[in-house]
Amino acid sequence: MIKPDMSVDIGGIRMQNPVMTASGTFGFGEVYEDFFSADELGALVVKGVTPEARIGNPPSRLVETPAGLLNAIGLENPGVEAVLKDYLPHLKGYSVPVIVNIAGNTIEDYCLVAERLSSSEVVKGLEINISCPNVKAGGMAFGSHPDMAAQVVRAVRKNTKLPLIVKLSPNVTSIVEMALAVEEAGADAISLINTLLGMAIDIETRRPRLANIVGGLSGPAVKPVAVRMVWQVAQHVKIPVIGLGGIITAEDALEFIMAGATAVAIGTGQFLNPRCCPDVVKGIFEYCQNNNIKRIGDLTGIAWKEA
Amino acid sequence: MKYHIPQALVTGQEKKAESTYLLSFHAPEIAKDAQPGQFVHIKTIEAYDPLLRRPISICYVDREKGLVVLWYQVVGKGTKLLSSLKTGDSIDVIGPLGRGFDTAISGEKIYLIGGGIGIAPLIFLAQSLKEENNITAFFGGKNKEQLLPVNQLTSINCELATEDGSIGHQGFVTDLLLRRLALEKPARAYACGPNGMLEQTALITRKHNLPLQVSLESVMACGVGACLGCTCEKGSSGEEGWVKVCKEGPVFWEDEVKLL
Ligand SMILES: Cc1cc2nc3c(=O)[nH]c(=O)nc-3n(C[C@H](O)[C@H](O)[C@H](O)COP(=O)(O)OP(=O)(O)OC[C@H]3O[C@@H](n4cnc5c(N)ncnc54)[C@H](O)[C@@H]3O)c2cc1C
Ligand SMILES: Cc1cc2nc3c(=O)[nH]c(=O)nc-3n(C[C@H](O)[C@H](O)[C@H](O)COP(=O)(O)O)c2cc1C
Ligand code: FES
Repeated sequence: MIKPDMSVDIGGIRMQNPVMTASGTFGFGEVYEDFFSADELGALVVKGVTPEARIGNPPSRLVETPAGLLNAIGLENPGVEAVLKDYLPHLKGYSVPVIVNIAGNTIEDYCLVAERLSSSEVVKGLEINISCPNVKAGGMAFGSHPDMAAQVVRAVRKNTKLPLIVKLSPNVTSIVEMALAVEEAGADAISLINTLLGMAIDIETRRPRLANIVGGLSGPAVKPVAVRMVWQVAQHVKIPVIGLGGIITAEDALEFIMAGATAVAIGTGQFLNPRCCPDVVKGIFEYCQNNNIKRIGDLTGIAWKEA
Repeated sequence: MKYHIPQALVTGQEKKAESTYLLSFHAPEIAKDAQPGQFVHIKTIEAYDPLLRRPISICYVDREKGLVVLWYQVVGKGTKLLSSLKTGDSIDVIGPLGRGFDTAISGEKIYLIGGGIGIAPLIFLAQSLKEENNITAFFGGKNKEQLLPVNQLTSINCELATEDGSIGHQGFVTDLLLRRLALEKPARAYACGPNGMLEQTALITRKHNLPLQVSLESVMACGVGACLGCTCEKGSSGEEGWVKVCKEGPVFWEDEVKLL
């Protein structure tokens, strides 16, 4: 039997396999240690980090929906200095590339966090989260306006040499326009999707279930939307695409890869199965073996390349 | 150490009053490591609805046989699915999770205060503390039937209260607690139950300078501290912010969280 080459390159970040963790669902890499080693992953993406510590939204922060999860955590994080001092050193012993998700209210915030993180030898890449709803420019999200998204990317680019992944929000009219704008501004890769804006109402109390009223939907419920967006974006950009949204099994991950993703990430799936990431790695490997696929890259975009 | 046992063998399921059930399953690693107050996180169905695992406190363990026993109440989809399991079926569990009760205590007089299904973790606590301490339990429920499993699970000294007076005092467990506190001074109290009961208990223990640990609930996704979803407000002993019920709890000293 062949031994398929599972390695991929995401904007200069070499990964032994295409499976990454999704930001905000894996803490800072420590929480799943009892179930598998982070070194089994392609890359470890940690929680969104802002310049200052943020306490996040009040409870309740989670609502389960059919095959989905609404969350309104509100970017709770200890702030970039505490992350550098208390969280990242712990990851020194790992060989897995560590990617830090960064967020902010202003362009300056993003630049500051990027610059500070560049000083850490642990960090191998940054993922810019531009789906944060509270921003300077009249409350318009960076993630829903191509010009503003490009401005953030350009500014961050000047403050770091690290590979830049830009994480796109699905809450836009044209995902392709967003993708082209950030590619042109210097992004090395694109990840999509972040959560879909949603809400739920408790008919007993007659009030929204989330204290924040609205939240982000993730899990299997969003998968078809995410696959469609990866399909559209991957055909228009030259940089690699990381696909995520509702991946639970290797079959789900393969769908994203065939839609055009070079790598995939897993968030909510990890909550269901604490060995979700390594199980997906194994499943992809077996699929390649059984189907005589020599390199995982040969499957990327195969659904449209061979149409 | 936390374990994921995708196919733990169900060894028994008994229906009790008020839609509650006693479920036992074989999970020697969890039985061995579990501390009172810790919980297991259960996938109630292989499909994606309900999507998330359900947290249930460990009620009793038999370390020799490697068994874990849960006492739970059917309140929705997940617990309904759980109640359909039969001996010989398998169940997907992660555990033991969370920070349990502080059990570093011996030679003392201890109170357990439990309401309804909140009695469950206190049974395990009694199991581990009773050899070395003098325990009095104040357990409350709707009626006599709801409290029957208590006798089946533990032989500790219990004072009961029911809403309908069908057994013990007619009224609240906190009435029993107040009455007893007029006579003696215990070293510590542990409580689990509805929020109203926890609030009333905290008011009383504060007045009597009695250290209290409480076991809290919250909706959970990961159950291991990864998602930051299960937060509860910090109490007077901490700064502004939240604690994670799944990791820093579910058991807290009363002043670590904001109950009142
Ligand atoms: C650490 C911990 C330990 C627990 N131990 C036990 C136990 O030993 N025995 C037991 O019976 N239950 C216990 N619970 C509560 C149990 O987790 C919930 O009852 C269960 O998740 C409900 O799932 P469901 O799908 O049946 O209900 P759902 O369909 O999810 O909900 C049905 C109704 O129950 C309410 N509900 C959902 N989750 C909770 C919750 N966590 N607390 C209170 N109400 C809730 C919902 O708001 C809704 O009104 C514990 C919870 C936690 C966090
Ligand atoms: C609890 C939770 C916290 C999240 N936090 C972040 C975050 O800090 N930064 C970010 O870019 N995305 C965050 N996300 C979005 C995920 O990274 C991912 O894009 C989304 O959940 C879809 O993937 P999934 O269906 O596999 O979970 C979070 C998602 C969840 C469920
Ligand atoms: S349930 Fe995820 S942090 Fe507690």
